[in-house]
Amino acid sequence: MNDLFTNLYNKVVGFFHKVENEEENSKEIACNRLRVVLMQDRTNLTPELLDKMRSELIDLLSKYLEMDKDALELNLEQDGDQMALALSIPVIRAKDEAEIEAAIKAQEAEKAKEDAEKTSEDDDDDDFETDEGDDENSDEDEDSETDNADDEITEGSQSDNEDNEEDTEASDDSENEDSDNKVEEDSEDETSDNEDKKKAKNKQNKK
Amino acid sequence: MSGRVIVITSGKGGVGKTTTNANIGTALAKAGKKVVMIDTDLGLRNLDLLLGLENRIVYTIVDVVEKRCKLKQALVKDKKNPNLCLLAAAQTRDKTAVTEEQLKDICERLQKDFDFILVDCPAGIEQGFQNAVAGASEAIVVTTPEMSAIRDADRIIGLLEAKEEIKSYHLLLNRVRPKLIKSNDMMSVDEVVDILSAELIGIIPEDTGIITSTNKGEPIVNDEKSLAGQAYMNVAKRIMGEEVPFLNLEEDNSFMGKVKSFFSHLVGKEKK
Repeated sequence: MNDLFTNLYNKVVGFFHKVENEEENSKEIACNRLRVVLMQDRTNLTPELLDKMRSELIDLLSKYLEMDKDALELNLEQDGDQMALALSIPVIRAKDEAEIEAAIKAQEAEKAKEDAEKTSEDDDDDDFETDEGDDENSDEDEDSETDNADDEITEGSQSDNEDNEEDTEASDDSENEDSDNKVEEDSEDETSDNEDKKKAKNKQNKK
Repeated sequence: MSGRVIVITSGKGGVGKTTTNANIGTALAKAGKKVVMIDTDLGLRNLDLLLGLENRIVYTIVDVVEKRCKLKQALVKDKKNPNLCLLAAAQTRDKTAVTEEQLKDICERLQKDFDFILVDCPAGIEQGFQNAVAGASEAIVVTTPEMSAIRDADRIIGLLEAKEEIKSYHLLLNRVRPKLIKSNDMMSVDEVVDILSAELIGIIPEDTGIITSTNKGEPIVNDEKSLAGQAYMNVAKRIMGEEVPFLNLEEDNSFMGKVKSFFSHLVGKEKK
């Protein structure tokens, strides 16, 4: 009789575990979505750019190691002011020297075709440069990035004053001021952005 | 066509403004209305997450204001319902990137093409709130049966009453827990309504389904079995002018409800 009861109880508990598992699934979804969103928030990378970066990284690294490309994980970790790019890819097999050399040569040949002047430069640099220059979208996002960091305090207090004094005036004025601010932001931003990318690059090199 | 502009606000953060926005918007769109949601929480946008649209945003409201794109380009269509659009907030700017006038202008332009414009207001009563309210003629004040939320809601109602443009406002009581009300540990719906003396447009029960639906980026109104989903659907109907009685949240009287509560009771005991 007791056994019968515990059996029943286990079944019931099992049922509830199933329900919990379902919730774990949605938790997984949440974690993955959050990872992507935070990555976007912390950089100026749109989803398309992230994909591009991923595939370029894979191209780069698979010259040296054979990897599970689908399992590549990119993560940006923020530690105070420092941002680090953490990259994790399961390595299937180490390539032997001949393979590596062949891959490097193949790529160098390709590059020589594409652009004779750039052959002297490092592979990494090229990868990142195309990333920076290519996309118009990234520029737009760049303007907006700074508010998170340094600008917030100054901009906030400025605009408070503006609001008090100019609320009643036509909106043209405030628009002009907005664009003035923006020019400053742009220039500052590019530098901070480059810094971020350098950090990412350094991290990359370490790996 | 001249759409209705409804601002969803609360004063206090975390009472469910954005969830309410996502669900009412989805419910209205499901009923065949053309709906656009504007996230005005610049720098802290989240409406895109609740709708599962975070990866589709190319342009934001700031891009529209700064004329980097056309208004229509910035509208992100919902995955399921083509009647539903989102105008996302910029994640990297602060509340000063858009002015009241600019928001008003955007609302006016959207009124031509949409039946409903839902404005998701940031928490607080500062510029973000002023901006969000600027283009609206109706308001929904979201609150929960907790002292702090009610106090903030009262403050918001005061501010809304002072605004000439706001023609009407309603109260939406979120996260209601019938069991706690029954045991006299939570203010009842009537008490809250009495204190705030505002007309009620919805009572939403606390529902764990909200957590999973947020995780998945799918508003809970899409789940017709969920009580909170039904409650949000009813809010949408009331907005459209239907008279719908408030859900009875007292007790789950269905057979399955009883079985569930019995077993959860049992499991709860065993775990101790």
